[in-house]
Amino acid sequence: MDHKLERKKIKTSYQSLVIDIFIWVFLIFAALFILAPTIFMFTASLMPASDVVKMPYRWIPGGFYWQNYWQGIRGNDGSFIYIRNILNSLIVATVVSVSTVFLSALAGFGLAKYYFKGRALVFMMIMGTMMIPFEAIMIPLYLVTTKLGLQDSYAGLIAPFLVNAFGVFLMRQYFITFPDEILDAARIDGASELMIFKTIILPNSVPAIATLAILTFKAQWDNLLWPLLVVQSEEMKTIPLYIVKFMAEKHTDEGAMMAVAAIASIPILIVFFRLSKYFLGGAALYSSRKG
Amino acid sequence: MKKLFVVFLFVIFVSITVNAATDIEITFWTHEDPNRTEIENRYIAEFEQANPGVTIKRVTSGSGQIQELILTAFAANQGPDIFNMSIEDEYAYIVNERLAPVDFEAAGYPSLQAIYDAYIPGVLDPVTYKGQLYGLPLELTNWCIYINKKIFRDVGLDPEKDYPKTWEEMMEVSDKIAIREGEILKRRGFDFRYPYYLVSWVPMVEQLGGKLISDDGKTAIINEEAWLKVLDYMREWGPNGRNLGSPTYTNARKLFNKDNNDVAMCLTGLYQQGRIRADNPEFYESGEWMVVPFPVFENAVKDVPAAYYGHYYMVNGQKPKENQQIAWKFIAFMLSHPEEYLTKVNIVQPTVKLMESATFKSMPYSEVFKNDMAKGHIVYYGESSAKIQSLIREAVESVMLAGVSPEDALKTLKRKVQEVLEEG
Amino acid sequence: MSKRIQSYSIERQKARWGWIFVAPTLIFFSLFSFYPIFNAFYASLFRKKLLSLKPPDFIGFNNYSYLLKSPDFWNSIRATVVFTLGTFIPLLIFSLIFAIFIMSRKRFQNFFQMAYYSPAVLSSVVAAVIWLLIFDPRGLANQWVNFALNTPGIDHKWLASSVMVQISAMMVYFWKYVGYFTIIFIVGLASIPQSIYEASKIDGANDWKNFWYITLPLLKPTTILVSIMSMLQCLKTFSTQYLFTQGGAPLAPINVITLNIYHTAIRDHRIGRASAMSIILFIIMLFFTWLQFKFSRTDEVSY
Repeated sequence: MDHKLERKKIKTSYQSLVIDIFIWVFLIFAALFILAPTIFMFTASLMPASDVVKMPYRWIPGGFYWQNYWQGIRGNDGSFIYIRNILNSLIVATVVSVSTVFLSALAGFGLAKYYFKGRALVFMMIMGTMMIPFEAIMIPLYLVTTKLGLQDSYAGLIAPFLVNAFGVFLMRQYFITFPDEILDAARIDGASELMIFKTIILPNSVPAIATLAILTFKAQWDNLLWPLLVVQSEEMKTIPLYIVKFMAEKHTDEGAMMAVAAIASIPILIVFFRLSKYFLGGAALYSSRKG
Repeated sequence: MKKLFVVFLFVIFVSITVNAATDIEITFWTHEDPNRTEIENRYIAEFEQANPGVTIKRVTSGSGQIQELILTAFAANQGPDIFNMSIEDEYAYIVNERLAPVDFEAAGYPSLQAIYDAYIPGVLDPVTYKGQLYGLPLELTNWCIYINKKIFRDVGLDPEKDYPKTWEEMMEVSDKIAIREGEILKRRGFDFRYPYYLVSWVPMVEQLGGKLISDDGKTAIINEEAWLKVLDYMREWGPNGRNLGSPTYTNARKLFNKDNNDVAMCLTGLYQQGRIRADNPEFYESGEWMVVPFPVFENAVKDVPAAYYGHYYMVNGQKPKENQQIAWKFIAFMLSHPEEYLTKVNIVQPTVKLMESATFKSMPYSEVFKNDMAKGHIVYYGESSAKIQSLIREAVESVMLAGVSPEDALKTLKRKVQEVLEEG
Repeated sequence: MSKRIQSYSIERQKARWGWIFVAPTLIFFSLFSFYPIFNAFYASLFRKKLLSLKPPDFIGFNNYSYLLKSPDFWNSIRATVVFTLGTFIPLLIFSLIFAIFIMSRKRFQNFFQMAYYSPAVLSSVVAAVIWLLIFDPRGLANQWVNFALNTPGIDHKWLASSVMVQISAMMVYFWKYVGYFTIIFIVGLASIPQSIYEASKIDGANDWKNFWYITLPLLKPTTILVSIMSMLQCLKTFSTQYLFTQGGAPLAPINVITLNIYHTAIRDHRIGRASAMSIILFIIMLFFTWLQFKFSRTDEVSY
């Protein structure tokens, strides 16, 4: 009996070694493919334009062509407006993240833990907004925003994104599993509903909040079409707008373009690496619906 | 959390109050051009000093975005006081009566006729509608062929004598110059300005007697034979033919300045000289580049150079009368410096005076541009010109890249353009 | 009796609080989502030019019937469907494979997760700028493929040929989102209780059987979530195709519905027709979501 088992064991360990190597190779190749464009951006940002599109491409820059970064930060007109634009992106993304978290938590809590007539309908309607293509409402949205006098301001950049359906969905899913007994116990102790929200719900949903905040932040960092329409002055532009404009300018070459792209990516990559546990663990919450 | 919310409310509040206006504020939206920004900001300062109580807010956007920006703003009745775009895009604003006609008194002219007299004939036609004038030209541009002499000599050609005069020669010369690695072009001879078909490609059809739209404006695609020949030329040019160029390579005009042995010829305007000077002063000074006229087909029935196109300053008709007057006054003030626009920004404002001036004549090869302009006509403009241009683009690219036969591509093109015309 | 009244009033009070909590969000959505979409529907019933100041003509559902007859619109449907299927199926399969492979490793789990996820944090504008350079005929894409296949000098026409340009768009999207969905799957995998596997081990099941009979069924909710999310993402795709055509790629093969909406509104000024197109897209998206929710409702998973 021992003998037979032994043979089987050897066979499986040999098999599993092959599989093991295959998996490593596969993962490493995939990682290379996925990382290559980002690495390309950073290396190309240190090259004179004539080296960027060249056959064959040299992955290690011949020298460090820091001028690209200088040109990117300084701008073609020497106004250094990019710094202000980066700041704008930070402000907008931060405010939107905070308000999204706050309003989503409120609404998600209301939908998860309170029964009221029409709740299902309200939830359906909120979910329905996820299916609205932005292009469809672009012009009416612009009308609303200008009617409120918000064009070319932070408020205009922020207003349409104060909360989103995905956030409400995420928070609702998270709260649904929250034990009712704790809430009832607090009520018996005389806590008001707002108190419950503030002292019990919020402190207990830090992971969900962190995830939502980061995802929202990232989405805002990426937003192009809306800022394009609502903002005109240089001082109010955000990073994607600056990149698109910089690309269209006459003195821009490929090296400088990559430098600008790299500058835009560095802060978010740093945030990503520092907070990776939320990025990586955070996705947990999507599937916390298992209940 | 609470604190952050307060901060957030505060931000909204501040940004609203900041928007409150002062005396008269004229908003002026234009495309980004660093050289022009520099001189126009100076004009603004001078104008504001001379007209107390007036502020001019000049904002710029990338040239690719300005069109949609202004369109959305106008759709929401929030357009700027002053704006400019290329005429194909601007024409819809004229026919939809969104503009204020030129106030000749505010602009400092004794009569409307005096404005027409100040400009070379024909250039104000596109902005004349129902007897009113709706714009003043910021720039009028036509394109000729720039040549890098070194690359010509490199393949044993004498640029002064062997430069391509016909499209047939253009193909031969480009083939001689091209360096490939397999199918991939490492050096091109000439390459087209792909998205700009109305400006530089339709004239090629016209050389062979074709026309985009009949004189009565009712029928699209006149003289199919001419169209087919030029479509076939493009098929020859592209990667499925003799592989001389394609829209997906970096555009030739941009590479030309670098003088990096990438491209020998490109199609561009007088303004390119300023950019060569800025990008690569050494090359500019070397005298190793020259400009020659737009080629014609060997059996051309008409000598048609590239069409010229223009940007016109326009004024929003929904603004109060007072704003409109100040806007025209300011535009006229800016446009009273055509020589500075020419020397600093390299753009041509086609006044009679400028075209005859020593400054213009002393610009290298300005004669070549002037001659071509005199023979040419303005680019096709109409309420749907942008759409028509993209339909032409679709047709040419399907022939060049997707292997569609010129006959099929033309049939589709004709049907679609006809539909656009009929829908109005 | 009094007890019943009390509990009734508590219920009422709770309902009121429910409304209060939802109210800010609801007000927000009314202003920035419901009103605009109704506005778009209303506009879709008119023949309206964006710049025209004249009152628009009411034409009922003519915009819709025009679209259903227009080959151009059907091409957009085709482009959108091809893109969605061509992107979302590989996304689903590869993110699942990546997740399982990563979870089978004892080391470098975090490294792989971060590496795969990193493109998702780059902005789409940056992504498009990078990929346009890679797809240049002289760029990296040709160099790699020619190196791998040992076919020097072949131009694969990444942005030029009508088939390749569709594949290129899918590649960019795949690159950008595969890490995102990998991580969702990883979380799904992590939430499967280890005890189930241990139980099956005792029953003598091997890895493959485990995967087929335990992992996959238990991953169903995650799979459905991933497919809904990635499908909606794909149907809404805009910036990649937009920036590709700006970079010289032919329009027709990648003229997805959103791009068509954008051109119809912004270039052709036909706001009525563009609105009709967006309402159709809205309905398509609603339909698919409903379909997937319906599937997910039928078999809830329990451990």
